[in-house]
Amino acid sequence: MKITFAYWGNYTIAFISLFQKLGINVIPPEKTNQQSIIEGAKISPEMYCFPLKANIGNYLTAIKKGADTVFMVTSLSGSCRLRYYGIIQDKVLSEAGYKVNFVILNQNFIDIYQKLKKISGASFWQIVKAVYFFFKKLHLIEKLEKKAQYLRPREKIKGQTDQILRETFPQLEKVRNLRELTKLKREIKKKISEIEIDSKKNVPRIGIIGEIFTVTDGAINFGIEEKLGKQDIEVHREMDVTYHLKKIICPWKDWQIQKKINPYLKSTVGGHGRDAIFEMLNYTKNNFDGIIHLLPFGCMPEVVIRPILEKIHQETGIPFLSLSLDEQVAEAGINTRLEAFVDVVKNHYNNKNH
Amino acid sequence: MKCYLGIDVGSVSTNLVLIDKENNVLFSLYIRTEGDPISAIKKGLKLLKEKIPENAEVVGVGTTGSARQLAGVITGADLIKNEITAHARGVAHFIPDVKTIIEIGGQDSKIIILENGVVVDFGLNLLCAAGTGSFLDAQSFRLKIPIQEFGKLALSSKQPTIISSRCTVFAESDMIHKQQIGHKTEDIVAGLCQGLARNFLANIAKGKNIKPPIVFEGGVSENLGMRKAFEEALKEKVIIPKYNTVMGAFGAALLVKEMSPQKSKFFGFGVIDKDIKCTSFQCKGCPNQCEVIEARIDGKVMARWGDRCGKWSNLNMNNI
Repeated sequence: MKITFAYWGNYTIAFISLFQKLGINVIPPEKTNQQSIIEGAKISPEMYCFPLKANIGNYLTAIKKGADTVFMVTSLSGSCRLRYYGIIQDKVLSEAGYKVNFVILNQNFIDIYQKLKKISGASFWQIVKAVYFFFKKLHLIEKLEKKAQYLRPREKIKGQTDQILRETFPQLEKVRNLRELTKLKREIKKKISEIEIDSKKNVPRIGIIGEIFTVTDGAINFGIEEKLGKQDIEVHREMDVTYHLKKIICPWKDWQIQKKINPYLKSTVGGHGRDAIFEMLNYTKNNFDGIIHLLPFGCMPEVVIRPILEKIHQETGIPFLSLSLDEQVAEAGINTRLEAFVDVVKNHYNNKNH
Repeated sequence: MKCYLGIDVGSVSTNLVLIDKENNVLFSLYIRTEGDPISAIKKGLKLLKEKIPENAEVVGVGTTGSARQLAGVITGADLIKNEITAHARGVAHFIPDVKTIIEIGGQDSKIIILENGVVVDFGLNLLCAAGTGSFLDAQSFRLKIPIQEFGKLALSSKQPTIISSRCTVFAESDMIHKQQIGHKTEDIVAGLCQGLARNFLANIAKGKNIKPPIVFEGGVSENLGMRKAFEEALKEKVIIPKYNTVMGAFGAALLVKEMSPQKSKFFGFGVIDKDIKCTSFQCKGCPNQCEVIEARIDGKVMARWGDRCGKWSNLNMNNI
């Protein structure tokens, strides 16, 4: 059995190592690119939300390399279309003539544990060790991403941070055990400390909010964080895998968020709809200079809350840009909007400080 | 005399504006791009060269429009700026207290909201061309009415008919239907203008805080019918500024003047006779598979862009 799964930004590296540690034969998905998106969109239902098409594109590249089983994590209790992803993807692939085995994992630790145990045949200890290693890698990836958001606008040689990240992630993918990981961590630390930065530089800050898949995967959002960083903007983003997992473990977080957003929205709309409103309010309170809202085309929760976000933008005057991404969107259009938005943000920032 | 040149290369028109130190327009030009931005830029520069005052010296070049990158590379621009900032800067020069700018060009349309002469919000058309100049162009062609007379004809209508304008194709079938049941041409033309204004306000300007003074510019602002349609739909006076069709280029010239480059990178008018070619290729270096564009002047690589990692765009051009 050779398994594959959907590509998800840099986090893919952590997922690969999780399955490898369990002794499962993994064919990692290739990084999403325009070609794979087109291939995926070709056989997917036209009106389905965009991540599904991107996922199918990932599976196709892996199936070509011999993968015969797909792991798909869905949220069976959620109220957005992610709920049906596994079933629809299975149907789409089989109707297109691909014979693959679909393993649908619910976002529920017991379900994931049982299915992983059954498939891999690993012992309890092995699973614990693999999960531990997965989290170690995941934390490193998330920490690097956060660090890069701070470094990009301040680095003296433009593009140096991204150069280091591009070298680091493939190395991280090859790391197989904790000792190697510690060694690599030390190397990364050394490399990053060598980046010359202007730490006193004042830079405008933009908060990125929206649907988790589009905000975290640079291959989907055209590397928005890099682009903003190059234009001297510090980017902040709450959404990542850890954030999502924490919310599954601590469901009361949702109640806390609901309490804060009550004047705008009184119930859940599915996905991370409430979180986006909460984050925007938070960023506004913390005196940020702009908000970028990213959503995949056809994402119900984000479409529902977009007017609310626009209302907050009208009320507070914080610059706001909403970008809907799908296979039809051209990078040139996104660039024009981003450039113009950066000008708006910089004006806002300068007016505020003078 | 020191002059600054602004070049706006859009999908339909290419505009050049030359200004002096006191922001006076010495030369302005509006020509069709005709799908070939390189030739359009060359042609524009050639016409400028013929008209340029003898003592004028170009000390700064700014480019804007959808082909700003390309125009910047082949002319040696000091500033490459997005359309929104350029248009806002240009309009704010003529009408300093402007609050709303409606700009409709060939392939795109935008709304810009300003406060104290600074852009605070903007919107661009996303999905469809049914709100742009191309839409009117296509319909005027179908009705066999020259686009220049389109507006005047619309004004003569007393009873504009309602034409669905959600989509260019549906508008056309609706228009055919209206013709066949016997509506007058001028009513249909006026209906089209109203539909376009309605579509603009419903899609692009949705959720935006539209306050007077409202400025209408871009190629479509030449159309009298459209001016009237916007005034009726907004119930506000719509101002048409001077140089309304070349505002982007004017804004770019102003912006480059404000930047006041020490030494301009402008290549001069020599590029008119040079052989400029653009090619693209797909980089196979990583799974990103970026499309890299390469501009050559007389066979010499001037610039490459389009890659995410900087592998191509950072190459030292002198070593090739």
